Amino acid sequence: MKNLLKLLSPFAPDQSGAVGVLYELGGLVVICDAGGCAGNICGFDEPRWFTKKSAVFSAGLRDMDAILGRDDRLIEKTAKAVGQTSVRFTAVVGTPVPAVIATDYRALRRMAENKTGLPAICVDCTGTRLYDDGEQRAYLELFKTFATQKYETVKGKLGIIGCTPLASGYMTEKIFRQAYGNSAVCFGMGCGIDEIAKASECERNIVVSTGGIAAAEYMKQQFGIPFETDFPITEAMSRVLENDLNGRKILVVHQQFAANKMRELLKQRYDCDVDVATFFKLFDEFKQDDDEQLGDEEQLVNKVLGGGYDAVVIDNICNRALRQFDGELIDLPHFAVSGRLDENGGQTCLL
Amino acid sequence: MDNAFYITASELAELGYENTPDELMSAEHLIYSSPATLAFNSPGAQGFGVKRAGLAVPGSVMLLVSPGCCGRNTTMQSRLCGYQDRFFYLLLDDTDIVTGRHLTKIPEAVREVCEFCEKKPSAVMICITCVDALLGTDMDRVSRKCEELAGVPVVPCYMYALTREKKLPPMAAVRKAVYSLLKPQKRHSDAMNILGFFAPLNDDSEIYELLTGAGIRHIREISRCEDLAEYEKMSQANFNLVLNPEARYAAQQMEETLGIPYIEMMRMYHIDKIRNLYRSLGNAIGAEFDDEKYYTQAKAAVEGFKAEYGKLNFAVGEFLNADSFELAWALISYGFTVSEIYGTVGERNFVFIRKIAKLSPDTKIFSNLSPTMLDYEPSGKKIDVCIGNDAGYYHSDVPAVDWNEERQPFGYAGVKLLFEKLDEALKGGAK
Repeated sequence: MKNLLKLLSPFAPDQSGAVGVLYELGGLVVICDAGGCAGNICGFDEPRWFTKKSAVFSAGLRDMDAILGRDDRLIEKTAKAVGQTSVRFTAVVGTPVPAVIATDYRALRRMAENKTGLPAICVDCTGTRLYDDGEQRAYLELFKTFATQKYETVKGKLGIIGCTPLASGYMTEKIFRQAYGNSAVCFGMGCGIDEIAKASECERNIVVSTGGIAAAEYMKQQFGIPFETDFPITEAMSRVLENDLNGRKILVVHQQFAANKMRELLKQRYDCDVDVATFFKLFDEFKQDDDEQLGDEEQLVNKVLGGGYDAVVIDNICNRALRQFDGELIDLPHFAVSGRLDENGGQTCLL
Repeated sequence: MDNAFYITASELAELGYENTPDELMSAEHLIYSSPATLAFNSPGAQGFGVKRAGLAVPGSVMLLVSPGCCGRNTTMQSRLCGYQDRFFYLLLDDTDIVTGRHLTKIPEAVREVCEFCEKKPSAVMICITCVDALLGTDMDRVSRKCEELAGVPVVPCYMYALTREKKLPPMAAVRKAVYSLLKPQKRHSDAMNILGFFAPLNDDSEIYELLTGAGIRHIREISRCEDLAEYEKMSQANFNLVLNPEARYAAQQMEETLGIPYIEMMRMYHIDKIRNLYRSLGNAIGAEFDDEKYYTQAKAAVEGFKAEYGKLNFAVGEFLNADSFELAWALISYGFTVSEIYGTVGERNFVFIRKIAKLSPDTKIFSNLSPTMLDYEPSGKKIDVCIGNDAGYYHSDVPAVDWNEERQPFGYAGVKLLFEKLDEALKGGAK
């Protein structure tokens, strides 16, 4: 049955992606939920929660708040929290509860701005979509709200869009700086809202997660900043390359831009055929012929078993679903899939 | 305000429960799910949340019917707790949420899950979340349809975080659910059940010996039932002993449907109160418990610890196998100092706040969930030792006892074990 998972667990949802983008920007982030979604995000999908403080709160909605649509109560609580913390803006991130009751985010945004006197954004997440969808919405809202002014271009300044732990498996910007130089600014990692506001200074943007494409296109359209996609070479990728994969047909499963990088590295090192598959967004302009977007675990099994592959490079949490595959399974952790960070050697990062 | 909000015990006692400041009432502010709170404030992050608790029925599996986000933490839970083969997910999309069409898919999904399992499950627990709470789904009806199609008992579990402060919050509802498969049968005068936890009491708890000494031969706990047949024997009980108020509704349900009466007993750490509780229990079941030996041992453990370490200063959290305020009161009564408590103030435990106020008026009471805890910094009198994972988070340089093991401490043996663990922590041993 479609959407019935018997072997895999659900992947990081859109609200986790949105919070991952906003986490380090110095705002007050309100997850519009009853408590469970915030618990999942903070306890599972946001590894920085244990190392870096951020004003991320749950709205603590109760049934009557939802039934009666008591947005004013949410704004009251938000304003009170603003008075107790030092923040630069407020952000409301949606979950299934506001999705069911059709919360009017535009009204919520206006109410928040009026009440707190701070800029506000709302990210329309539903919990039914995946993390890169939430990243996309959050980045776009941020750039549309804060990157409104054209600054003089700073020669050599690179903007990195999409560097979140969920997409990259890294909690700090170090790996991106190593790959793209110290003049690279990682939006949402190691910098605050001021860098978003000055994003038009960048000469070029590099998009490392599928969640960053819409924002990069927006910046191109608004300020003429060109962009390209790429992904840094990670430790996990280096480990994959240690396998002898000459003459093999390989499937790489990850987010599209990390998988594309893995393909590039494999083809540089070995004489091999490589296809890419992803449970997340797959952009036509960055895909090759046999690349495929996977809807669920059944499609993964069909792709692997029907594709004639000798090896599959995939987060090892998916191995359960590939028991019938008699080729080689090579681990490439993806935090949004398994909660395993690359930077700690693929260990689960929790509590 | 730049500092974490707190109120002293005397100030709070003077205000009274009705006038508890908003900062201590989670419904009145945004909720801060700090690392200190995740273990108990996030559904299933650690211990027994609704999902894991729902699988207390031996041989059962769970189908979580929800948007993907609600099942996300189960990735971790499955891997750590060995539940990989017992969790299944039917993910809802936007159209399902708008139209409610997922309800027609559930019976087929249950059938597919049952066919997929190597061994037919004893029951399928269907866990639904806030979405269905708002849609007003009649899950009893859906469950009946599932039973017809799949040929196994199907029980709904409600993970409705939206109703956390209601009469039947999720953790009380799931306790009702896990006992709902019991069928009436002849009751045995030498059988009883202990309700309240999803893991057994520690084997060395004196309660087993005291009850056995009173002629009770079969003491059953759901977590000790190895198979469905053993679980089904729980309806032979002459009475239920409720050790956690969240099991009260389950006990009431068992009284109505199975005719099993229940007795409530609170877990306490004040040894004189433990003695009173055993006396009350003895009166209720017509037995006289001789608890002198256990009382003496527990008292000796407390006094021995005090003799070795003196008047230590404690911080007491709330993610622990205790009521924060009762435990703090017990410690103060034993002659220790408790300068900070991180806990949830309720009508039920306010009585202990009054007692603390009399003995230690300056004890500070914090709410873990207040946004102001983002700025918490240790201040005031130096803490010597922490009890509770959350307290340990705030005072990371201080010896701490987590005191949140799954196996449950109880009675005099619980007091003894706590002081043994404190001794270990202070000597630099494991938490």
